[in-house]
Amino acid sequence: MSFSLINAIRKLNISTVSQIRLISSGSTDVSNINSHSNSDLNVTQKEWKFPPQFTKPREVWIENLDSIDEKKLGLFELHPLVYAVLPRIDIIHRNVIWQRKFRWVSWAHTKTRAEVHGGGRKPWPQKGLGRARHGSIRSPLWRGGGIVHGPRSGKTHFFMLPFHLRIHGLTSTLSAKFAQDDLHVVRNLELPTEDPEYLAELIEKRNWGPSVLIVDDNDYAPRNITVATENLPHVNIIPFYGLNVYSMLKHDTLIITQTAAERIEEKILQHLHSNTMPQQAKFKLNQV
Amino acid sequence: MGSRQITEKSLAMLRSLPRLSLGNIRDNPGSRKNIKRGRGQHGGDKHGAGNKGSGQRQNYMRLGYETGNNPFYLRMPHEHYYKGHHHRRQYPPISLLEIQKLIDTNRLDITKPIDIASIVRSGLYNFFPDQKHFGIHLTDEGMDIFSAKVNIEVQWASEQVIAAIEKNGGVITTAYYDPHSLILLKNPKSFFQTGQAIPRRMIPPPDVIEYYTSAEMRGYLADPEKISEERLRLSQKYGYQLPILESDKNYNMLCERKDPRQIFYGLEPGWVINLRDKCILKPKDEELLQFYAS
Repeated sequence: MSFSLINAIRKLNISTVSQIRLISSGSTDVSNINSHSNSDLNVTQKEWKFPPQFTKPREVWIENLDSIDEKKLGLFELHPLVYAVLPRIDIIHRNVIWQRKFRWVSWAHTKTRAEVHGGGRKPWPQKGLGRARHGSIRSPLWRGGGIVHGPRSGKTHFFMLPFHLRIHGLTSTLSAKFAQDDLHVVRNLELPTEDPEYLAELIEKRNWGPSVLIVDDNDYAPRNITVATENLPHVNIIPFYGLNVYSMLKHDTLIITQTAAERIEEKILQHLHSNTMPQQAKFKLNQV
Repeated sequence: MGSRQITEKSLAMLRSLPRLSLGNIRDNPGSRKNIKRGRGQHGGDKHGAGNKGSGQRQNYMRLGYETGNNPFYLRMPHEHYYKGHHHRRQYPPISLLEIQKLIDTNRLDITKPIDIASIVRSGLYNFFPDQKHFGIHLTDEGMDIFSAKVNIEVQWASEQVIAAIEKNGGVITTAYYDPHSLILLKNPKSFFQTGQAIPRRMIPPPDVIEYYTSAEMRGYLADPEKISEERLRLSQKYGYQLPILESDKNYNMLCERKDPRQIFYGLEPGWVINLRDKCILKPKDEELLQFYAS
C-alpha cells in the first residue's frame, strides 16, 4: 500500500524531498511502518550519469542496524541495468567455475618409470626361461612400477573469463539476489554494541541468513561490527571492490551499505558505457 | 524473441524458486562437449599423422612436386602482378558513415580539429604503423547522409569525399605522417611516458610528394590560394553552394592546421611532456631550436 502510494506521488513529478516528506508523514501506512523517526524517511531520486532508458529504476528500503527491530529509513533507487537484469544462471555458473579454477594449482604428482627408484637391471634373460620378456621391474605393467600419463605437480588451471561475462555475472547475481529478497540496503554499519549476540539476534529476528555477506564502501568498517563478526564465521565483511559472484552465492543474504550500492552501480555502469577494448584484450601476465 | 518483458518474467519467476546458491546452478545443457575417453593422452589416436603411408612414415614429397614431371607451378612463365606488394603503403579505410556514427555517439568532438589521434581514441578504428599502415583512407560510403561540419585531417581521400565534407561547410586536409609519427599518434601516452622529446614529422617520400602538394587532393603542402580556387571549382562541378568560411562562427577552428613538421595539435617538435609533474619542457638551446624549426 505504502509502496504504491509513494509510486503515485512520484508520478506527480514532485521533485523536492521536503514535499514528499510532508505527504508521506500524513499517510497512515508509512507512519505505521516508520513510527519511530518519521522525519527521517526520505525518498531520493537519483541523478545517474547513465539514466535507465527502457526500464524503470528499482526501489529498495534503506534499513537500519542500530536496533534489532527493523526500521525503514527511506527509499532508495537502484539502477535496473545493475540490479534488475536478466538473471543468466549459466553466466553465473561460468563465473563460479572461473573463480574456482583461476587460482587453482593442482599439486597431485606421480612418478614415471624413470623416476621410480631402481629398475635399471633386466630382471631375467630375454629368452630360455619360458617367462614373459621384461626389461625393467619399474615398467608401468608391473606392480610398483611407474605411472603412465599420471598427474604432474604444479599444473595450473588459470584462465580469464571474458570481461563482459564477468560484468554480466556480477549484475546477474545481484539481480537474482535482489529478486529473491536476499539483498538489503542499510544506511551504515554502526552497531550500538560489539557483542556478537546482538548481531546474531538481529540476523535471526529479521530472517536473514544464516550466512550473511556485508559489503562496505571502504576497507575500514566501524569497530563494533568488525569485533562482532570476528567470531561469527558465517558473517563476513568485504569492501565493495571485492564483490564477487562466488561469495555472493556462498552467503545467503547480502547486506550492502547505501554508499557501497552506489559505488558498485557507478563502477559497473561505467564499464557498461565506456570503451572496454583494453579490458577485453587477451590477458597478459604482468612480468615486471 | 516472441514475448516482451523476459527480464521481468524471469525475475518474478526467481522469487518463487529456491534461493540461488553454489549448489543449484548449472551451465546451459549441451554447452560443453563430452570429451570421448580413449587410451592415452589423446584418446588413442594417430597423433595427427593419418593412417599409414607418407604421413606416418615422414617421407613427404615437397609441395608441388609431381614425381619427375615438370611441375604445374613451373609450367607457365611468371608475371609479377603483386611484386613488392608487402612494401607498398596501406591506408586502412574508415567511411564517412562511420565518422558520422562516431560523431552522433559522442565519440568524436567536432568543436576541435579531428586528426588520426582523435579517431583512434574513439576506440572504433585501429591501425598498425609497423605493418605498413600509413593512416586513414576516408571512403565515400555514407556520403549522402554525412551532415557534420568538421575540420578533418586524413591521409588519403577521394574527390567525392572532399566534396561531401566541403558541402557541409567543413574542411579536409590530406597529410602524410611517417610510421614513427603514427606510432606516437596512435598511443601518445606511452610515448610521453618515455620522456623523449617530440620528434619532427618527416617529409613524404618522392612518390607521394605530388599527391600531398596537389590542391585538388587538399594536400597539406599545397598552396592555400590554389586550395580555395579548387574548393570553388569542386562546388561547381558537383553543383552545391559552397558555404563561406570567413563568415562562419567557428572560423578559427576551421582554419586550424598543423605545421608540416608538427605531429600533435598544440604541441611542437622538441617539447618534452612531463606527465608526472604535469608540465611541458621546451628547448632553449640555439642549436636545438634551429634543428626543430621546420
